Amino acid sequence: MCIEALRPQAARGQAKARIIVIGGGVGGATAAKYLALGSEALHVTLVEPKARYTTCFFSNLYLAGLRSLESLTHGYETLAQRYGVNVVHDAVTAIDPLAKNVSLEGGAELSYDRVVLAPGIAFRAGAIDGYDDAAMQIMPHAWTAGPQTELLRQQLESMAEGGVFVLVAPPDPFRCPPGPYERASLIAYYFKQYKPRAKILILDAKDTFFAQDVFEDGWNRHYPGMIEWLPGQFTGGIKAVDVKDRSVKTARDTFKADVANVIPAQEAGRLAYQARLVDQSGWCPIDPLTFESKLQPAIHVIGDAAKAGNMAKSAFASNSQAKVCAFAILAALTGSERFAPHLFNTCYTLLAADDAVTSAISYNADPETIKVNDFFLSKVGDKAETRREAVREADGWYAAFTHDIFG
Amino acid sequence: MSAGPTAVPATAGYRQSALSLHRIIALSMVASLAVAERSFAADNDQGAQLAATCAACHRLDGHDGGIPSIVGLSEEQFSIAMGAFKSGERSGPIMRTMARSLSNEEIAILARYFAARGKETQRR
Repeated sequence: MCIEALRPQAARGQAKARIIVIGGGVGGATAAKYLALGSEALHVTLVEPKARYTTCFFSNLYLAGLRSLESLTHGYETLAQRYGVNVVHDAVTAIDPLAKNVSLEGGAELSYDRVVLAPGIAFRAGAIDGYDDAAMQIMPHAWTAGPQTELLRQQLESMAEGGVFVLVAPPDPFRCPPGPYERASLIAYYFKQYKPRAKILILDAKDTFFAQDVFEDGWNRHYPGMIEWLPGQFTGGIKAVDVKDRSVKTARDTFKADVANVIPAQEAGRLAYQARLVDQSGWCPIDPLTFESKLQPAIHVIGDAAKAGNMAKSAFASNSQAKVCAFAILAALTGSERFAPHLFNTCYTLLAADDAVTSAISYNADPETIKVNDFFLSKVGDKAETRREAVREADGWYAAFTHDIFG
Repeated sequence: MSAGPTAVPATAGYRQSALSLHRIIALSMVASLAVAERSFAADNDQGAQLAATCAACHRLDGHDGGIPSIVGLSEEQFSIAMGAFKSGERSGPIMRTMARSLSNEEIAILARYFAARGKETQRR
């Protein structure tokens, strides 16, 4: 039975255009809200298996003991009640671009005029030998927030003083470029208080990373001698994990961990593959002005899964893309006027409880790609007060941003 | 970012879209669920879309913890502030990057939009 049939029909005769937003993360929830707000002529359904969403951004603050996981968790009630989004808690099993319908695990089939797909990331199978679903329960990735993040926190808490925490950082491109290094910083912040002889070893697939000088300066100032970073060219790359031994094997060495956090190479979420939206890069090519797939008509892909030129894979970028996509769909289906899209990314990254760095990027979208227009990043040598002020701003930003998505 | 609206003609759906988009601001700012059916300036739809960018950091319901509220600024206050960020006269790297991505025309549209929303809040 079609779920549509369970809903009261629109009072007036003309059928509403049906939009199905798949995935209730930052991109999907933002798109559902702005589509529903944008026109009463659309019927917007959001399909998301989970009743509540825990944000990846700021989950490193939870690992540091600076935030509760509950404070990072949000529901979909407001989207349903205030904006009239039809929120369906179910999992999509298939999207059929020819029949233009979406099948749900619960058995329902929903037909659509447009789909907005925000599937997030998946981990590349076989990227690290031995790192399978079972291994994730011993050596968590914690790169989607929730139980994985809690598991990592528990392991850090029960680690013996003087232990070694190994963080495996992924190759580009991946969700949240500063994320692994903020995580190392904030776990060091926790260790400094509770296990001051602990060590942090970052085994990186890359030879450089985002804002490297700013991070390394912060590590020297706040946690001298605690964090060691080994680039891919030094180790020869990360090859395998041994769960029983809790060790990480690189091309040249084996590193034994007391706690290991393995963040593998990434690609577009699985639904994107099912619907044949992914190209050889592992990500979804899109029209930069509308985020409509270049491979399947009437399906838009936003967020981390999209191949959006030089845009970072971040929650802020997903929110920004969701709005551009929603306004483009509104223009196409309701005839509302189209304006030049604005794409933006902002980031607050904590080095310690009183030291945050900021970055801001504006982008230019053209029919071919998305390029950086203007870029700002905090610098080594910023005044301490500037960094403290950024921590206060970051708190305000989290509240405003999650309100923009879920409120 | 390139300036000004792209050349796509407005059609019948445009007005309805503008009203509905406006609703987010109105609903956020006042407890009342009654939304007045008013006519808006021609740039209201663009104002609402540009304001959506602001809403990623600024609460549009008057809350201002950590990040200042921008609803209720007069047209002049808003334009002067954005001009100062754009020129670098006022510090604030995120706002400088934001301001530099907007054309002067877009800043003027936003200024009118937020000033109008502020007045509306006061009337209620």
